[in-house]
Amino acid sequence: MKRSVLYGLAVVGIISLVGGIWWLLAQPTEGGYGPAFFISTSIFVLVFAAISLRWMHETAAALLGAAAVWLVHYIGGTYFPALHIIDFEESMAFVDWNVIWLIMGMMIFMAMFSETGAINWISFRTFRLAKGNAWLLVMSLVILTAVLSAFLNDVTAILLLVPLSIEIAQTVGIHPFAFVIPEVLASNIGGAATIIGDPPSTIVGSHIGLSFVDYLVNMAPIAILCMVPFLIIISLLYRRELAGAKDQFSSALMARLEADAQITDFPLLRKAGLVGLLMMILFFTGDYFGGIPPSVIALSGAAILVAWVRPDMHRMLHEVDWTTLIFFISIFVIVGGLEATGVITWIAGIIGDLAGDSLERATVLMVWIPGVASSIVANIPFTVAALPIADFLTATIPGAENGVLYWALILGADLGGNATILGSAPNIVAVGLLSQAGYRLGFGRFMRDGVPVAIATLLLATVWLLVRY
Amino acid sequence: MGMILCATRGGEASYPTQDAVIALAKEQGDELAFLYVADISFLNQTAAPMVVDVESRLEKLGQFQLVMAQERAAEQDIIAQAFVRTGQLRAELVAVAEEIGATLIVMGGSLGPDAAFENSALHVFAADLQTETGVEVRILGSND
Repeated sequence: MKRSVLYGLAVVGIISLVGGIWWLLAQPTEGGYGPAFFISTSIFVLVFAAISLRWMHETAAALLGAAAVWLVHYIGGTYFPALHIIDFEESMAFVDWNVIWLIMGMMIFMAMFSETGAINWISFRTFRLAKGNAWLLVMSLVILTAVLSAFLNDVTAILLLVPLSIEIAQTVGIHPFAFVIPEVLASNIGGAATIIGDPPSTIVGSHIGLSFVDYLVNMAPIAILCMVPFLIIISLLYRRELAGAKDQFSSALMARLEADAQITDFPLLRKAGLVGLLMMILFFTGDYFGGIPPSVIALSGAAILVAWVRPDMHRMLHEVDWTTLIFFISIFVIVGGLEATGVITWIAGIIGDLAGDSLERATVLMVWIPGVASSIVANIPFTVAALPIADFLTATIPGAENGVLYWALILGADLGGNATILGSAPNIVAVGLLSQAGYRLGFGRFMRDGVPVAIATLLLATVWLLVRY
Repeated sequence: MGMILCATRGGEASYPTQDAVIALAKEQGDELAFLYVADISFLNQTAAPMVVDVESRLEKLGQFQLVMAQERAAEQDIIAQAFVRTGQLRAELVAVAEEIGATLIVMGGSLGPDAAFENSALHVFAADLQTETGVEVRILGSND
């Protein structure tokens, strides 16, 4: 008797719950706070959590989120119009194809260039030129990483440089952390210098239609300035380790190191070097040619190199990392859902209230909110979601039309990524590479170096933005 | 004369194991081989573009780590072989053990924060490996 009563109550409860949800969904919604608002927010938060907490691969989480947006829109929306989030055609308009093509073009170019062995050859020459001076060696490798991150991209720079840097560190008898952590931090700073260096730079730069030069003249000076406190902090943190470097090296290790740092394909290097130079010339003169977008330059360079080198196209296309492109497209779709349902306008309103009419306050907020957020959550979805907020604030705050809030967003997202391992992709990749050589880089150990560098560079960036703009 | 196969990643945490296995080979008059297995599964944690041939870079890194291990062995007058493989540690250990006719497989115990395995997981792994290969698996350089 008791059990049947309980069953009855449960059935009544479930029916009431389903009926209640049905009734709620069937109500006409005023403004932007209907079920679609909450569902699109929930999808974004879940995807964000899945990426940041490593529940699943970033691309899988983003793809699932995009699929959820469309499924809720089409299937749920068939029964309840309040569940209309965004349809397929509308969501495609939110995808920044300039970003997608730029990343694809650079990937094809980098895939071929990386096979030349040129970067390792340069690293080894740097090691030779330092002549046993560990401090000079670390500083040179760090600057090399920053420059490569600016012109290739930060993850590629880390993948190319870190394995050889571990070998160099072991040869000179210094803990590899003293080489690798500064290189990773430098890659995040260097990546902010150009529109192709780091995903947040590419996303924001493309969104506001910047040419390579427009971006460079605004961001390269501050990226170079940020290297100053960074190099000082690194010198202080590693002064003891660097002082303990050996000056006599094992001949077997030197031979192995040299063997790992050979140029492996001279004809390819010559061709990739010429095409790379042509791309650089076009990046710098793009404004003269009707504002040719960086994506067109990258794709053209990739196309010329492919036609010239004639690699196995199946292998070439296999080397393009499609997961990255799917990840970006999916994130644009999910954030498009947030925009279409009014979530972004709502958040922008809150930040707008906090900033008031003060451009200075808005600038500080746009550096530090992304800065802190990027240290704990994935900075790519954050940047995509923060862009419409920067649009809103730029349109409403007097004096913001000079684009300062976009620069603030880029610097916050890029430099804040240095604080923790989770902050950016190069950090995660470097941790994996170190573990392959038997060195486990923990969260706290990374923060010991990352947090002071992130705070110092974010502070410097804030002052620079307030003074210059 | 037996053949000892020692799986190692390199790094300071592996030195006690390497020293212990070198001493064991010397004491028993056995041959010694070091194995490094490059595992690129860590790249699955991010959607960042991976257009570099990471496998071949890690193979070179592995060869370097094994040159260091061979140098440690040479200091004790032991000439050690070196094998670098790419893939899953367990599968590669089994394959190389069979290939060289290993009579003993040695793995390093957990020593400090740089260790690749937790001790409990390592013991389970070693027991499973011994069952699969039929070769004795010993953990050296452990704190326990």
